[in-house]
Amino acid sequence: MNTGPLQASAVPTQVYFEDIELKVPLETPGMTLTEAHVALFNGLAPTTAAREAGLVPDLLPLCLSSGLGWRVPRPPLAVLAFMGFEWRFLLPVRVGDTIRSVSISHTKRSMREGGVVIEERRIVNQRGETAQAGKLTLLVAKRPRP
Amino acid sequence: MLFFRSVDLQPAVFFEDLELGREYLSPGRTITETDVVLFAGLSGDYNVLHTDAEHMKGSLFGERIAHGLLGLAIQQGLASRGEPAAAHGSFAGIKWKFKGPIRLGDTIHVRSRITGLEEGSVAGHGLVTLERQVINQRGEVVQEGETAHLLERRKP
Repeated sequence: MNTGPLQASAVPTQVYFEDIELKVPLETPGMTLTEAHVALFNGLAPTTAAREAGLVPDLLPLCLSSGLGWRVPRPPLAVLAFMGFEWRFLLPVRVGDTIRSVSISHTKRSMREGGVVIEERRIVNQRGETAQAGKLTLLVAKRPRP
Repeated sequence: MLFFRSVDLQPAVFFEDLELGREYLSPGRTITETDVVLFAGLSGDYNVLHTDAEHMKGSLFGERIAHGLLGLAIQQGLASRGEPAAAHGSFAGIKWKFKGPIRLGDTIHVRSRITGLEEGSVAGHGLVTLERQVINQRGEVVQEGETAHLLERRKP
């Protein structure tokens, strides 16, 4: 048991640019997609599109992966800005599917203000199939100077 | 996108009905604090950028800003009210840039243009590429990118 003084400063509350390890996959917990997710999403961002029953909106899995990404065994990334992404829709995603997100940081480029990280992300369903996949470009803060 | 046809609007379009260079304009929508709070709850993304007004006073933006993906989701809906509705199709892919913040109270609309009409990878379908810009009330492009859609051809 650690009986020494609490060293709050030693416990990182965020992962900064310098802390990011490349090529280490991070897998989130799963999320079962429900009609409630679809209703909330369509309430927030309605389209006039008619939709095949049971399919979830195309952009819902990507949106949920942004929150799932906070639930990995690592403090959250100190994201300053989401700069852009490329994304492919590979398989239909349906209500009742359980999705998780698997990410790997594969490039880091240091800038004066923070650094740019390219992350590969996949949305995987309960059968292990990749339903959607792409690359995200993030601007991440550097560790604050003491 | 070139969406599935809604029941009451215009007649459905097929791949052959589309014309290169054709432009579409969506209605506008004001992005509110409620939108941002609901999106944080739905997505689970509680980044301080979107949820901590006090922290954001001292930031580059000076206030909370909308999630980039909220803007993306909302533009998808807005675009569906400006672009023609397809008889049948699917969203194939997207390349997107978040160029500037969407602030609470900003009003955005979408301008889209058909930039590609090609053979699709699915039989009986063509691949449509659109350039889309999300524009705020000051005329600034806050998001932009390219979306790709597989669209059904007319039966011979």
